[in-house]
Amino acid sequence: MPDTNGNRATMTTRPANNFIGSRAMPELVYHAPETMQALMDLIRTHGPSIKIVAGCTDFIPSVRTGRWRFDPELHVIDISKVTALNRIENQKDILKIGAGVTLTRILTSPEIQAFCPVLARAVEQMASLQVRNTATMGGNLCMASPAADTAPPLLVSDARVVIQDAQGETTVPVVDFFTGPGQSILTPGQVLTHTCIPKIRANESAGFRKIGTRTAVIISVVSAAVKIGMNNGVCENVRIALGSVAPTPLRLAEAEQFLTGKTLDDPVIEKCGKVAADAILPITDLRASADYRKDVAKTLVKRCIMDCREVLK
Amino acid sequence: MKIPLTFVLNNQETTLEIDSWQTLLEVLRNQGGMTSVHRSCEEGECGACTVLLNNEPVNACLVLAASVQGASVMTSEGLVKNATPHPLMKAFTDELGIQCGFCTPGMLMNAYALIQKAGDTVLTDAVIRKTLEGNLCRCTGYVNIVKSVKAAQKSKLAGEWW
Repeated sequence: MPDTNGNRATMTTRPANNFIGSRAMPELVYHAPETMQALMDLIRTHGPSIKIVAGCTDFIPSVRTGRWRFDPELHVIDISKVTALNRIENQKDILKIGAGVTLTRILTSPEIQAFCPVLARAVEQMASLQVRNTATMGGNLCMASPAADTAPPLLVSDARVVIQDAQGETTVPVVDFFTGPGQSILTPGQVLTHTCIPKIRANESAGFRKIGTRTAVIISVVSAAVKIGMNNGVCENVRIALGSVAPTPLRLAEAEQFLTGKTLDDPVIEKCGKVAADAILPITDLRASADYRKDVAKTLVKRCIMDCREVLK
Repeated sequence: MKIPLTFVLNNQETTLEIDSWQTLLEVLRNQGGMTSVHRSCEEGECGACTVLLNNEPVNACLVLAASVQGASVMTSEGLVKNATPHPLMKAFTDELGIQCGFCTPGMLMNAYALIQKAGDTVLTDAVIRKTLEGNLCRCTGYVNIVKSVKAAQKSKLAGEWW
């Protein structure tokens, strides 16, 4: 638009790099190691000036919008080509998923459909086909968004993450992994390598539901996952988790205890939804108000329990 | 840092000099001359920059160009043969699945991958809509786009395809 003097002022003040309305990427050095040895060597060599990435679907927008700033000479280490991190391993009692496995591969994996279907239900509703083709579950966890849709299914599945650093490997329950919005227990020099998910048992069922302002390519307003085991008509091993209602995805101990030992009839399910909603203190933000989130949390927990009941009856 | 990038672009081995921080979108448009790859939201919401990376649709704006070293990339320019529009393109014009055309190249690439993978299975509305959920169109609505994809699959099953 011409300014009041008739000059096209904005044309001359626009930065020379050809970005309009978004920031340039920083100067960086790109590494794509293919072995764990090469990956750990790179982490050691470049010390604090590294950023570990996989699908880059969160990394690029985070830099572009200025949410993340990096010093020049950033070393970007892409783990998506590390062979050892690109497998879904079907072990005796667990599925071991490499951090470089894309969401599409999780969605289409027969092992995951068979042994952790609730994760597939969640991944199916995440982002778009294009994003799922590059984004990874390792990345979703490391971003540590309170709204990470893979978190509630992993929480109810008692999943653990494997973290590697120069000292070796440690295994941590997902429930202890998140420490705040965008924050996890990962420290510089550490890399999340695998997620281990115990297989669902024959007497168990799990459900996932999410609500957003549309059904596709949307960040959850609230997401919920529930897992229930059935023993002689009463619930055992109950797990209830919610996303987007607290600084981290979380388990709801009160609601889990409430449901344990009970039969799945309508009044019990209704009350359990209420117990879950009473236990959370969500915030109001641009996606939804706190009251709406509490309301939706109650409904989603109820619907997830009903989904389980459908399978278990 | 300038680095050489060698990859297969629309079935031709190509080497371009790129900056290590460039996205695939920028490289395809600026160095590669593939201006059908449209830049819009640059955060994976709209799908206007959809290209096929090793035959899978991805948002070119969310891929570091350096990461496609040795890979195969296809843009909608690659659909054209001997200056003749691809049957998929013809289906979009015949069924009015195109209006302003901004989203079209991305739609084409996503639809092309879908039709290629579907084989003889006839695509339903639900499958087409689920697959194209990451491609926004702000003109036509999606009815004619779904029709176009169905018509294109008919062409393929009738043997008019490449």
